[in-house]
Amino acid sequence: MVNILFYICAVAAIASALGVVSARSPINSVLSLLGTFFSLAVIYLLAGFQFMAAIQILVYGGAIMVLFLFVIMLLNLGNPEQVAQADPLFKPGRATGVALAVSGAALLLGLLAAHALPADHLSPVPAGSGRAMIETLADAIFGKYVLPFEVASVMLLAAAVGVLVLAKRERPGLLDTEAEDNR
Amino acid sequence: MTVPVQHLFMLAGVLFAIGACGFFLRRNVIIVLMCIELMLNAANLTFLAASRLHETADGPDPTGPVFALFVILVAAVEAAVGLALVIALYRRKQTASLAQVRELRG
Repeated sequence: MVNILFYICAVAAIASALGVVSARSPINSVLSLLGTFFSLAVIYLLAGFQFMAAIQILVYGGAIMVLFLFVIMLLNLGNPEQVAQADPLFKPGRATGVALAVSGAALLLGLLAAHALPADHLSPVPAGSGRAMIETLADAIFGKYVLPFEVASVMLLAAAVGVLVLAKRERPGLLDTEAEDNR
Repeated sequence: MTVPVQHLFMLAGVLFAIGACGFFLRRNVIIVLMCIELMLNAANLTFLAASRLHETADGPDPTGPVFALFVILVAAVEAAVGLALVIALYRRKQTASLAQVRELRG
């Protein structure tokens, strides 16, 4: 039963990933991507990573998707004129060849690697293993990987400052002497 | 769930290939960014599957989920910076199509 649910979710994830790539309107693309994220969250849950499933829904489904939707609506990219002037999905050219070559190579490598693995079946997830999993995870993050954790917080700060600088309107203000110099 | 662990890796490979295809083929910046998210998700699935592959009696190897958490963090940062770039691009050129941005093309 649980295995069938996994295959249903896998097919749903692949179908909505195809929807992301092939949708003409970015809005449809975002909604398909949401479907992929939720299917993957269910797969994480089935594989025994309850915490990762929660994070997947909170961070991807909650934060990142809202950010994408916000930008699409802010720039009005989903309106019919913008969608109509979008380029065709498949136009023959060098980019198409490169795309097919790279993704074909990735697919082939992935399938070969999967084929080379020992034919192991996952052991069933014991009931109530979520708490132990979170404990091991916390031990790893705040023990062995505490330095990457701190570096990640610095990266978040740098990203916040960088986004402010990038998205700021270029208008000479009180603190903005450099923009005036460039004029 | 008792499916073969290879099926998780295969699913990740297929998702990555779809994401890479979209990354190269689409011209809308927002969809290109979403394809990157798709590829990062495939990488996450690989980390978690590898964690189950190397599990001990105590449970799955914690290294996989920890790296997946860092990947999620990088994905969030990438989305924020990428969308700020989209907004800056739109302000200059009133377009979100990569076909009309050719300043850096050799």
